[in-house]
Amino acid sequence: MKIAVVVLAAGSGLRFGNVTNKVWLPLGGRRIISRSLTNATKSFANCRTVLVINPIDAFLANQVLGREAPQVHVELVNGGETRHESEYNALMHLAPSILGGSINLVLIHDGARPLATSMLFHAVAWTALRHGGALPAIAVDPLEIDITTDDQIVRVQTPQAFRAKDLLSAYQQAHRDNFVGTDTAACMERYFPDVENIAVTGEVQNVKITYPQDLVIAEHVLEMRGYKE
Amino acid sequence: MTDEVMFAELHCAQCDQETLHALVYAGRLLVSATCQKCSMQVKHEPGDLRLQYIKDLEHRIATKPARLWRRFWRAPIRLMWSLPRKVMQQPNKIWNEVKALFR
Repeated sequence: MKIAVVVLAAGSGLRFGNVTNKVWLPLGGRRIISRSLTNATKSFANCRTVLVINPIDAFLANQVLGREAPQVHVELVNGGETRHESEYNALMHLAPSILGGSINLVLIHDGARPLATSMLFHAVAWTALRHGGALPAIAVDPLEIDITTDDQIVRVQTPQAFRAKDLLSAYQQAHRDNFVGTDTAACMERYFPDVENIAVTGEVQNVKITYPQDLVIAEHVLEMRGYKE
Repeated sequence: MTDEVMFAELHCAQCDQETLHALVYAGRLLVSATCQKCSMQVKHEPGDLRLQYIKDLEHRIATKPARLWRRFWRAPIRLMWSLPRKVMQQPNKIWNEVKALFR
């Protein structure tokens, strides 16, 4: 299995003075992004690791990663205006290796999800390798959202993994068509509807840091894990 | 490792939009996050946090030798150069953390 892990941390929104992107906030003694990166890479030997950042965070990224994740060899790529554009930039960075056959699977992970365990990364990667695509999902009670439906509703998380050549091809076609997907799976479903995208059981604790309350929850989870993962 | 107060954009439940938040830390722990638009504050119960801080401080002290050792192997000259200054700063750093807990 030849894997590349892409961690998205370009973000959007304000940057001025001492305002920081939330992925660079501390969480249990290390930055959120350091935790996301180490969890993402520790279950794969010799994987390529790409961190997509806002160019103005480059200095901070080098400083923080050198201190907090020195064991991870990280390739920095500049992000775009949207999540889709950031994914495209990362895939174009990896394109020579994908086309040359030295990468056959790409995992895309949101840098603001520092609690995804290496077991989840592993499960997603193996499922994607067998079926073409995989993503973690948590079933939601449909009655919580709409009492008129009894459809299966799921909350989708990251990491999402796809066979590298398909994914690159989908993003190249999307770029030509000016299509902007909401997430990686949306772009794949549009250009490769036949590729099976299998839902792996997600992790309830794999929260995306969005609200300030999420930081408090994440701190408690880390404390329970002994600040290890 | 970080400033005691940091600013970042997070989603405020009351404003229902991304707003600037001021985040106050005591060591590794988040003390409070305050929306700069509506002033809504998210914080631990003070008693809980103080107990948690003591536990966390014990953990920090217990793991310090190993962390210093790792830093020494990574960049020995830089560590030896910065160590005296960092040691001198520790009392003030701890004092500021304790102050943040009782604010």
